[in-house]
Amino acid sequence: MSAPAGPVGPSGLGAEVAWTQKHLLDVDVLSAAEISLVMKTTDAMKEILARPITKVPALRGRNVTIIFYEASTRTRVSFEVAAKNLSADVVNIAASASSVSKGESLVDTIRTIEALGAHMIVMRHGTSGAPYLAAEVFSGSVLNGGDGWHAHPSQALLDLYTMRAHLGDLRGRKVVILGDVLHSRVARSNVWTLTAMGADLWICGPTPILRGFDAWAARWANGRGPNGHGGFTVTSDVDAAVADADVVMALRLQRERMDAGLLPSLREYAARFGLTRERLAAAKPDALVMHPGPMNEGVEIAADVAVLDRSVITEQVANGVAVRMALLYLLSGVHGGAPEGAIGG
Amino acid sequence: MAETARVAPMRIGEPVELLEISRAWLVDPVAEREGPGEIVVRDGVLEAMTWLAGDEAEGIGPDGVVVAPGFIDLHVHLREPGNEDAETVASGLAAAAHGGFTSVCAMANTTPAADEPGVFARVRGAAAVSGSPVELLLHGAVTVGRGGERLAALGELADAGAVGFSDDGSPVQSPVILRNALLYAGMLGVPLFEHAEDPALTAGAEANEGYVATVLGLKGWPVAAEVAAVERAIVVLGAVLPDAPGARLHLTHLSTAGALDAVRRAKAAGLPVTCDVTPHHLGLTDEWVAGARRWAWEALDGDGVARDPWADGALVAHPYATACKVNPPLRAAEDAAAVLAALVDGTADAVATDHAPHTQVDKEAEFGLAANGISGVETALGVLLAAVGARRLALGRAIEALTTGPAHVLGGRAGRRGEARGLVEGAAADLVVFDAGAGWTVTAAALTSRGTNTPLLGRELPGRVLLTVADGRLAYRDPEA
Repeated sequence: MSAPAGPVGPSGLGAEVAWTQKHLLDVDVLSAAEISLVMKTTDAMKEILARPITKVPALRGRNVTIIFYEASTRTRVSFEVAAKNLSADVVNIAASASSVSKGESLVDTIRTIEALGAHMIVMRHGTSGAPYLAAEVFSGSVLNGGDGWHAHPSQALLDLYTMRAHLGDLRGRKVVILGDVLHSRVARSNVWTLTAMGADLWICGPTPILRGFDAWAARWANGRGPNGHGGFTVTSDVDAAVADADVVMALRLQRERMDAGLLPSLREYAARFGLTRERLAAAKPDALVMHPGPMNEGVEIAADVAVLDRSVITEQVANGVAVRMALLYLLSGVHGGAPEGAIGG
Repeated sequence: MAETARVAPMRIGEPVELLEISRAWLVDPVAEREGPGEIVVRDGVLEAMTWLAGDEAEGIGPDGVVVAPGFIDLHVHLREPGNEDAETVASGLAAAAHGGFTSVCAMANTTPAADEPGVFARVRGAAAVSGSPVELLLHGAVTVGRGGERLAALGELADAGAVGFSDDGSPVQSPVILRNALLYAGMLGVPLFEHAEDPALTAGAEANEGYVATVLGLKGWPVAAEVAAVERAIVVLGAVLPDAPGARLHLTHLSTAGALDAVRRAKAAGLPVTCDVTPHHLGLTDEWVAGARRWAWEALDGDGVARDPWADGALVAHPYATACKVNPPLRAAEDAAAVLAALVDGTADAVATDHAPHTQVDKEAEFGLAANGISGVETALGVLLAAVGARRLALGRAIEALTTGPAHVLGGRAGRRGEARGLVEGAAADLVVFDAGAGWTVTAAALTSRGTNTPLLGRELPGRVLLTVADGRLAYRDPEA
């Protein structure tokens, strides 16, 4: 996408494209230029977070409702901190405390939230696609905080931000996503952003939880992917995947996978696919270790790997706040008419 | 219609006093003939049917006004009793007439299920009250409450006129019950209509397993779940035949190349198997769930491989539209092509709509939680004519699959007209008149069914139905014609 250059808000962002998305439901709609705009806006937010007082007035008077239909601590708190740093008024709804338990439909809940004055909704839902339904009935913006197995846009963008902070341009850099990709919205969103950025993406795990990704990779092979997206490699050979990697991201493995008969045991998974020092030795010496959390130490990632110097897992959490500030700011639309310096303090 | 037809004023349900259609394209699947002609209906009887030739026939083609025998739908859900918010017998029969159907076979998955004749009586009563001349044929349940454990009152249901036995909505899960039902139904001479699905493979499934479901993060609904169930049912059928030579297996709404191959082989081996396919499984694909809205045959590249809607700009609607959620799911373009091929080569005996109306409440939900089903009895002809227009299907074959094909499946229980579904002079007129050259836009207001749950909403379909006459009486008349 090569949208005309225009004012995008505070000086210093210097972006080439204007932000045109009303909602952020998935990263598949973002062009490389739009992703760059998010990255640059996140830079500005990082500056704010480095100040003694991290609060700016950009979203003053804006009501942000955060509704999570699935239990989550880190993502929900990250969005809340991000919104509060921008001076938004934040309402938090946990699904168990809402009328969901009384059988109210999602559509009715969203209409109620709108009637209560929300300008933006951040939503986490266990069913893939649920934020699209919310976006159909809500007149403001919907930011997908993770839906089913489908998408987790803010996580993929904070992962990307973290990688770029260390590696710069990702073109040709080998990034490995290791683990339960079948059930992972983080993996799916990372496929879109990393292939848009030209990374050499590898997806690795035991075959039963890679199902479908081989066919996806085949579709995108040889430059046949959607506009600007490169292909990626899918394998169950963990040694081949990790060899000379620049980044290795492990995904959480849930105990339910054993109950569903997908895998024999956590022990066997840890032995064959766990990210250990020995496995990591095959990667580049300074390869980044990442994890979207929460971790099962000793299963998908060894405890001593999680705390290595090159582990950027806590940095991901910190960057998450900046990325979410950037997304709330861009989606709020205030950059269009706000006075210069709305986030410049 | 004004130029070619003369029709006396009349109301729904009343005998057709006079209907003259000159210069139309007649399709008679019994005589295996189609061509220019004209018909006269007087006092409900098809008084005259004349084939035109030479100068008289000039300028008449299959792309104009077409007259065909009234259609039979082997598979509809009328929702009454129990779910009248979604459809009633009256609204369903009216919708059928709008679709060109003059006979429909209602499935047994009402509440309560049609597992004993009392439910039949209630449904027939509703049909009589409706005044619709559309013939209502009834399937009985295979098991009590469709619970899959004990045989329903099959003999009593047969005596009460059941045209088939089916637990549709669910498969007959136990192979023991399936075997016993085939034996008993075979004794009664009633076909078993099986919804072929292995529920263990589809637990929690949301969309056809494949590229689209993977990208959208939807739980895959594997092709194997249908193929395995079809293969199993065919094997069980073969095993019961020595004891029950009258056993007949009909597999409804087949959606996969593998299942249709299995039927093809079974037929070649001489087994008494028939099957139907739906318009949506041959015309639509799983990429509709992602937001594509092109026909299945447009979704294949030159090598017969499904295109990538993300890569070729085909995504024009929001993803996760629950109108696209149906059981079995919309399949990949390769499977849709196999469904159409099976219709063309006769492996599929009939087109059935699996008309499944739902309320807005049941559809306006998260994709994974929304009800399965497409309201399809009014759009079937349009989807088939789209395939005809794309030169993927012959008009004559499409009409056969809506008339003689389903009548043959029903065999001796094919209703008031028996297996003869032709244009028969001297018999009660039972026909549909549609303009293949005129389109109509599918909107909630244009649909007669209470169920507006179709992904075709907003789309223009070819083949406007002008008039439907059932048993000599007016069933539908285009208000603008």
